[in-house]
Amino acid sequence: MLHYDAVVIGAGTAGLVAGARLAEGGARVCVVAKGVGSTHLAPGTIDVLGYAPDRVASPAAALPEFMTARADHPYALLGPDAVAESLGWLKARVEAGPLPGYRYAGELDRNLLLPSAIGALRPSALVPETMAGGDAALPGRVAVVGSRSLRDFHASLCAGNLRRAGIEARGLEIDIDVERADENALGLARRFDDAGWRAAFAARLAIKLQADERVGLPAMLGARDPHGAWSDLEQRLGRRVFEIPTLPPSVPGMRLFEILRSALRRAGGRLVIGAEVVDVERSGQAIAAVSTRAGGHDVRYAAPWFVLAAGGFASGAIELDSHWVTHERVLGLPLRGLPAPGEPRFVAEYLAEQPMARVGVAVDGELRAEGAENVMVVGAALPGAVPWSEASGEGIALASGSRAAELVLARAGGTPAGAAA
Amino acid sequence: MSSVTTPIDELLRGSLDHCVKCTICETQCPVSNVTPLFPGPKYAGPQAERYRVSDEPSVEWSVDYCSGCGICSMSCPQGVKIAEINAQARHKLKVQKGIPLRDRIITRPTWLGRAGTPVAPLANFTLGFRPLRVLGEKTLGVHRNGPAPKFAGRRFSRWARSHAAPATGRKIVYFHGCGTEYYEPWEGQKVVEILEHNGFRVEVPKQDCCGLPLQSSGLFDDARKVVLRLARALAPHVRDDPDTIIVGNATSCTLMLKREAREILDLENDPDLALVAERTYDICELLLELHDRGELKTDFKPVNERVAYHAPCQQQGHYIGKPALELLALIPELEVSEMNARCCGIAGTYGLKAEKYDIAMAVGADLFSQVRDSGADTVACDSETCRWQITHGTGRSSVHPIDFLHRAYGL
Amino acid sequence: MTTLSTDVLVIGGGATGAGVAWDAALRGFDVVLVDRGDLAEGTSGRFHGLVHSGGRYAVKDPKAAEECIAENRILRRIAADCIEDIGGFFVTTPWDDPAYADRFKDGCQATGVDCEEIDPALSLREEPRLNPDISRVFRVPDANIDVWKTVWAMAHGAQDRGARVLPYHAAVAFRRDGDRVTGARVRGARTGEEIDVEARVTVNASGAWAGRVADLAGIEGVRVLPGRGIMIAMNHRLVNTCVNRCQMPTDGDILVPIRTVCVIGTTDEHTGDPDDHTVRESEVDAMLDDGEKLVPGFRQARALRVWTGVRPLFEDAKASDTSTRDVTRAHALLDHDQRDGVTGFVTITGGKLTTFRLMAEETMNAVCRQLGEHRPCTTQTEPLPGSEQREHYRLGERLERKEEHLSGAQLICECEMVTRGKLEDAIRRRATTNLDDIRRLLRLGMGPCQGGFCIYRATGVLHGLDGLSAEQADAALQHFLQERWKGIWPILYGDQLRQARLDDWIFQGVLGVAHTPSSDGDRSAA
Repeated sequence: MLHYDAVVIGAGTAGLVAGARLAEGGARVCVVAKGVGSTHLAPGTIDVLGYAPDRVASPAAALPEFMTARADHPYALLGPDAVAESLGWLKARVEAGPLPGYRYAGELDRNLLLPSAIGALRPSALVPETMAGGDAALPGRVAVVGSRSLRDFHASLCAGNLRRAGIEARGLEIDIDVERADENALGLARRFDDAGWRAAFAARLAIKLQADERVGLPAMLGARDPHGAWSDLEQRLGRRVFEIPTLPPSVPGMRLFEILRSALRRAGGRLVIGAEVVDVERSGQAIAAVSTRAGGHDVRYAAPWFVLAAGGFASGAIELDSHWVTHERVLGLPLRGLPAPGEPRFVAEYLAEQPMARVGVAVDGELRAEGAENVMVVGAALPGAVPWSEASGEGIALASGSRAAELVLARAGGTPAGAAA
Repeated sequence: MSSVTTPIDELLRGSLDHCVKCTICETQCPVSNVTPLFPGPKYAGPQAERYRVSDEPSVEWSVDYCSGCGICSMSCPQGVKIAEINAQARHKLKVQKGIPLRDRIITRPTWLGRAGTPVAPLANFTLGFRPLRVLGEKTLGVHRNGPAPKFAGRRFSRWARSHAAPATGRKIVYFHGCGTEYYEPWEGQKVVEILEHNGFRVEVPKQDCCGLPLQSSGLFDDARKVVLRLARALAPHVRDDPDTIIVGNATSCTLMLKREAREILDLENDPDLALVAERTYDICELLLELHDRGELKTDFKPVNERVAYHAPCQQQGHYIGKPALELLALIPELEVSEMNARCCGIAGTYGLKAEKYDIAMAVGADLFSQVRDSGADTVACDSETCRWQITHGTGRSSVHPIDFLHRAYGL
Repeated sequence: MTTLSTDVLVIGGGATGAGVAWDAALRGFDVVLVDRGDLAEGTSGRFHGLVHSGGRYAVKDPKAAEECIAENRILRRIAADCIEDIGGFFVTTPWDDPAYADRFKDGCQATGVDCEEIDPALSLREEPRLNPDISRVFRVPDANIDVWKTVWAMAHGAQDRGARVLPYHAAVAFRRDGDRVTGARVRGARTGEEIDVEARVTVNASGAWAGRVADLAGIEGVRVLPGRGIMIAMNHRLVNTCVNRCQMPTDGDILVPIRTVCVIGTTDEHTGDPDDHTVRESEVDAMLDDGEKLVPGFRQARALRVWTGVRPLFEDAKASDTSTRDVTRAHALLDHDQRDGVTGFVTITGGKLTTFRLMAEETMNAVCRQLGEHRPCTTQTEPLPGSEQREHYRLGERLERKEEHLSGAQLICECEMVTRGKLEDAIRRRATTNLDDIRRLLRLGMGPCQGGFCIYRATGVLHGLDGLSAEQADAALQHFLQERWKGIWPILYGDQLRQARLDDWIFQGVLGVAHTPSSDGDRSAA
């Protein structure tokens, strides 16, 4: 048995943020996770609110009304200030993080509109500086650059849809020699870390570009030193260069993971990956300890506070079984947002809202799980949101992770939560 | 609450059902990130497994380039036993193609140790003598530059037999492994002294190899025999007392006992191995637990040094985080940098093989440069083969983390 | 309107229709083959993939058993490349009448179905996931067949001999000349263009839709009752041998390993509408319970998708004119000259996939009779294109090919190991923008992620290769997503729900497919 002030379950954005902020607040924290989390799959942008359901121009302006209209939504529990505060925290951690010079750009006042790999425009509040140049509000034509060597990005399709959105864009392909036929963005990102290779690439690309074009490339501009790679490329090409997120694995997402991991570690928090929670010790209305599967014998972690950041259906933390029963599998907590018995769980139209979409762990107004008074629920485990269609996932993760840490610290320190807020 | 275990999951193959193709394992694999010869864990594991039919011949070659480090399984957020599936596929391939003589030799630390110990100076000369190493590469396929350890010329078990154990104290069983027995007997002495300092009475049963090198080279039948022999040797020492545990400092060997032998070699049902698995602790895991309970002596003297800590893959495979880091943090004035690289490349015997040596060195390059950048003179690392590789790659000396505890205790 | 003139017009491009076209082409006839959709998109493409040994019918329908074993042997020769020799077990589970096993054994002997009783312990060694409580096991020569590959092989073989193959062309009206059918007018679903096909004989091979097609030709009383059955594909092969319950044929009693998956089937429910693809939760539940009886833990294993197929069950209103067989599962050949006094028109319906070749042979014999020509059938011996080597398909083939070209062949669909080269070839060959057509050819998007990773890639390739507009490419992608979702949502639970959620993130979160310019009017906001 190991004792901590707080144990965080899950190492996606929400869990790492909660863990880092708890540790920064002086708590002895251990983050346990079954595996590496959602960061590696998401674009690395902080989408706060993109659709409600019409496209949102300013999350700051839209959030108050949205929170009133959707009392069941995580944002309604968090409040606009928590969102703004957490964005500021993240920006600072990015700056102080392990990637020299790397920054996040954007404000809560205005969503940037960044091209996706198919050329749709995604509204994001806070984005890596390496992507900001793709904002549809910026003037100038766009050259979207891909390569046949990267199956995960199709430049002319992206450019075609951008043109339909009124942006003057064209797609072009550039040869990149790869040793691996199935190279992904991460493999190419490692190439972009190499200054010599980058210079040669820039030289080959430069001759294909027209005078007033900015350049969109798949998000692969450097794994180790993205700021260096990106700014070098901008300099060499003499124009704006921006990254476009594409299929997993997400290079910008991995950067975000490194930033958050490093924040956690620097504040003294532990991180245990590969540790799936397989047993729970309860003490009345509270969780006393959780056991994680290791080899041979399980390992028990005890704490006065637990933060459940294990995700929803995508991670398997919430599961619908073959008898059509839905469970929260980590701690066995009650759920909210389930369709009534006999009601459809899914509907035949793929892009319609699916009735199961808003299922999450039932919480009170301060993120506390129903039936477990010392468990704070954060991120995709929260009920009430459809993050992939609202474009709200990372915003919820960041704000709820921050807020949970704040509430735990306030309670552990004996101050009422409200005072800390 | 936990996932239900059913017959369908008992076969490793069943875990492929959890794969959502998310690519997280691909981002973590140290090997596929440096060589196209290994297409990556997703491909070789859950993806290729759907094309494998147990009674049909293997049609693959690339899975042989998986080093078996296990990082993929650890990182998988969905619980796919990727490395374990790969290990079984590699075994099938090896059996079909015929196992090279080299693999039969370098996977037998006990034979090597017994042969090399009495003639250590000569054996060490041989291992360090370039023309012979070149010959060894040409005839056997053991790379001329592969980090070969030096025989200590004495065996740990001999020291243990002559060592006067305290008459009282909580009983603990020490599994020292082959590295300690033949190459680094002093590490074993330190383990014993640290445990005794903390009030344990250490028993050292007669013991042999855990079979990990055989298993990782695909020699499953031999590996089963060897690990079961070890389980039979250790089990009687813990069977009658539920509080007695086994502790080991060879982290890859303790992992073999805890989990890998049962999962990969399909020995889930052996009662001795199950008992041993449940009772086995990595030394740092144990010491951290003691500390948590307030039972670890913390009379550490300052050690004014800089050390770089690398958690080897097999240590991470215990799924217990990095307890060594927490322990090193207890030592006053010791400046510890945590390395954030994945693997040193050696993966047991992988980096010794002529066709894989360059890959192993490329895998290790990231760690080597982090070690150099850290400014540390010494590297702490829980696995002996990794230590040898790190020293080979960086020229820095490398020790088990307990070396620092031993020094700080002033033992 | 374009006009075509031919010897034989075949309506219905399933296994039977394509088989008729192949048979006719081999006999030297000129052929036009049409289908309202893609080839083998109907019943043929919606079955479990089993080439019966005949064991299933050994007790209930000896004639069918004899046909099955005979055709099984023929198909192994002529369609070797489409067939995998998986072998089969008939197993007596605790839920089966133990007395049936001996009747089964006798039935097999009487009908010539190769059948060997083996020790259940041996079967468990071969198939460790099988229910350990099975009491008796018989080994039979079951095989599986890739229907799409088979149907296209026959279509290409026929094309090589001059046939014209027109998928997505529905018969909209028949040409009649008094008591004579002289062909049909067909309409291209994509172009809207009509083609007037003049034919000496028209074959109605439209299976469950045969009654409707006969109606269109003015022939009354061809009653085909569509029998709806559901099938569920599991994520990987839980067994490598086909497992049949040793009992009178019933629901959910066959588990067929085919390609990378295994399929459990099926149910049988009469429906008024052959296009009824409803899947009820109760049917899914029953099927999963049946799976559990064969393979304990079946419910924890991952189900990929569910689909329905409609068998054509023939029940002729003109009872006196029906063929001599009274079993509705048997096939029915209606020579409308004899039956209705209408020449130039033949209907073939009923039957099962295993006997499609026999059905085609009998059909073409009838056509020859009507034409008064004697041209012998050669489909028993002529290998299909691609099967000349007479080597059976092995599951490892795609993996083996990828290993051979590890650094050269880019995988677009990783689950089913579809390379970029194969995809580009197929797009060119089929000249289609419908990724679902490509799916049937290559198994694109049919693995665990159900297109999550490959469909964006395939859309990009399609867009680049075909000179599509971005709008058309978006439409192709959305069409495919919707097509996939059809088979996913009625059985979405467990691991596949995790996958579906990741796919949601990819398509809606990362790519924003719901917000490409046409889909939500984002244009002005930009």
